[in-house]
Amino acid sequence: MAVEPNLEPSLYTEGIGGLRSEEMILNMGPQHPSTHGVLRLVLVLDGETVVQCTPVIGYLHRGMEKIFENRPYMAGPRYIDNADYLSPMINESAFSGATEQLAGIEPPRRAQYIRVIVNELERIASHLVAVGTYGLDLGASTPVLWCFREREVILDLFESLSGHRFTHNYIRPGGVLFDFPKGWLQQCEAFLDRFIDRSWPELDGLLTGNEIFEARTQGVGYIDPQQALAFAMTGPNLRASGIPFDIRVDRPYDAYREIAVEPVTEQSGDCWGRYLVRMKEMKESVRLCRVAMDRLPGGAISTRTPIAFRPPRGEVYFAVESARGEEGLYMVSDGSEYPYRAKLRGPSFVNLQILPELLRGRRIGDVIAILGSIDIVLGDVDR
Amino acid sequence: MNDVVQNIIHFVITFLFAVFFLMTAASLLVWSERKVQAFMQDRWGPLHYGPQGILLAILDPMKLLLKEDLKPKGTDSIVFRIAPMVFFAPVVTAFVVLPFSPYLTASALGTGIIYYVALSSIDVVGIFMAGWGSNNKYALIGGLRSAAQMISYELPLVLALVGVVMLTSVVGQDCVGTQANLNTCGVGSISFTQVIAAQMRPGVPWLWFVLLQPLGLAVYYICGLAETNRTPFDLPEAESELVAGYLTEYSGLRWAMFFLGEYGNMTIVSAVATALFLGGWSGPGTAIDFWVGLLGPFWGNVVFNIIAVFWFVTKMVVLLLVFQWIRATLPRLRADQLMRFAWLYLIPLTLANIIITGGLLLLPLDRPVRMGISAAANWLLLILVLVTFRRVTGLSAASTIPSWLRRQVATTAAAKAAATRAAQSPEPASAGRR
Repeated sequence: MAVEPNLEPSLYTEGIGGLRSEEMILNMGPQHPSTHGVLRLVLVLDGETVVQCTPVIGYLHRGMEKIFENRPYMAGPRYIDNADYLSPMINESAFSGATEQLAGIEPPRRAQYIRVIVNELERIASHLVAVGTYGLDLGASTPVLWCFREREVILDLFESLSGHRFTHNYIRPGGVLFDFPKGWLQQCEAFLDRFIDRSWPELDGLLTGNEIFEARTQGVGYIDPQQALAFAMTGPNLRASGIPFDIRVDRPYDAYREIAVEPVTEQSGDCWGRYLVRMKEMKESVRLCRVAMDRLPGGAISTRTPIAFRPPRGEVYFAVESARGEEGLYMVSDGSEYPYRAKLRGPSFVNLQILPELLRGRRIGDVIAILGSIDIVLGDVDR
Repeated sequence: MNDVVQNIIHFVITFLFAVFFLMTAASLLVWSERKVQAFMQDRWGPLHYGPQGILLAILDPMKLLLKEDLKPKGTDSIVFRIAPMVFFAPVVTAFVVLPFSPYLTASALGTGIIYYVALSSIDVVGIFMAGWGSNNKYALIGGLRSAAQMISYELPLVLALVGVVMLTSVVGQDCVGTQANLNTCGVGSISFTQVIAAQMRPGVPWLWFVLLQPLGLAVYYICGLAETNRTPFDLPEAESELVAGYLTEYSGLRWAMFFLGEYGNMTIVSAVATALFLGGWSGPGTAIDFWVGLLGPFWGNVVFNIIAVFWFVTKMVVLLLVFQWIRATLPRLRADQLMRFAWLYLIPLTLANIIITGGLLLLPLDRPVRMGISAAANWLLLILVLVTFRRVTGLSAASTIPSWLRRQVATTAAAKAAATRAAQSPEPASAGRR
């Protein structure tokens, strides 16, 4: 159960001419159209101005880390799918990567490339949701539907690849589950072509350069680089503040060791910058997908890993670059079939911490604009 | 006696037409809104009931009528219950003056424009009552926002119409030809039928005021968007911020009254814009003399009125589609940007328009020359506002900070905030660094 926030007792502010105006406590969420899930924000409002904001989390807590401890390593990806439910493939890479490092398994090269392809597709899908719902948060109803239309194609591709649209359970410790079905690569190629030639410019034209959209985002929710580092932000939120940190570049894993990633950065550090970073990262992901498909090696897609294998005693921290930042798994093995401990570092959880800082003194309209720009997934916050 | 009977028949016909039109338009708009939005958003929209789901226009209000009348606990009972009526009544009443055709005008009030403006500002009372009576924080904020918004946008809305009224003083029917009535010529009219008549003078039947006052139409339309709480000014019911604003606690029939009232308001705004700027019922085939000569006085009048209604409604529909187009395209302004836009941008603009137009119309020149000069000035002002102003200064409608300055402002503001934070409490900052 969520913990009740401890609000400061002084609920009266001094107004003009000594008049006292009462502040209002507004519970935004957990049932609210745009808190992106079941986040609850306890806002102390002075008129339309936010005096204090306390995020209350835990409404979607599923005890994921405890579940890992009671399942064989092979069953982990199926549960971690639901952590950051907008990018299950990337979650699976994190879990599989950590397990492989723990057990000293090196997945075949083809599997590594397949992981890069599906990860980048998933990043596009996740950013599409982020950008689309961001438009919806700001009152534009069309971008979200255009974004979901594109995302639908990606989900179809995943469905034909893994049998599941959403919780794929596709990337397993030791490799991936299936090879590409016949014609899959051509379909994927066609999607990428259409996306980059038609859909991306369309979306860009609808939002970028829109007078109202710019006025709503520029200069709103500014995070300076020092602050971003102090709050341990990662992913697009950090890169929008001008720091080119990207796990794919700084601590490359899988085939990212062979494919050069250009981290997208923006200097502005506001909601506008975070939006631009996401838009440009979609382009970058398309490029990475194409490179990985061009260089796709042949061979096996999986090592022969038994379902109930026992990694040696030890501990490992393995992080991947999710669509939201550093998604890390700290895993401890005691030599048994199950992990002794599996701690998931959710990027949304860490990024969310800066929210009260950003909201102080802003308007109600900005609350949604800033929250949307940080792009949290409550499944990843609560786990 | 014959006159009385005719008046009664006229009243009954026009009243029934107005009510029928309001209801049909409001419920059809709900359907077309979905359909148009669906078209723009690459989806199907309503599809199941009737061809292209058009029966939804009937089924949707019917569903709402059949619902239970809920009143949440803790509401201010009387205020909560009568708020929808206070909102809906002016919408119905305003239909009385809408000039659909020469005959189908329930009341050709001499003060039509004032009457419309007065009624449209009553709406805000209903919304505020709903916000207050609901005993809901979202509703309260929505009600407050809407009060501030409607009062602010009422001013430029009225001021935008002043240009039209001034034009009628120059081109009004009384000033035409040999029968010019020098007593009333140059006074200007605030009656809808008079304004329409001024736009279709015998010699120049296509002198729509949008040609002479494009800026007036633009400002009026923008204010109309704000008056009807439409995107990008839909703050009072911003669903991503305030759930549903003042509508949060309403359901069933009461909600339907707000809902249909809003669409009725849209219809009225479009109708007024049509009458004042787009020449009302003027269009091909609206020559009454021709039809009377061809079919006799009765049937000639009937055919003429049907054609007139056709043109009036067609123009209205175009404007309504623009409403829906805007809704599918634009995001929403923030509350402070909304106010800034009205007070620092629209009101000075309309005042400048009034002064310039009025000054030029007073020039001691021939009437067509005067009108031409004032129209040119208006177009110039519009282009200046739309294109040049922003390009040159970097100022935008939504924000008074130029785009190239915004980043610096944000940076300094953030730095200042950080400095204040550090001065007030050094501990959290160091804790963050650790």
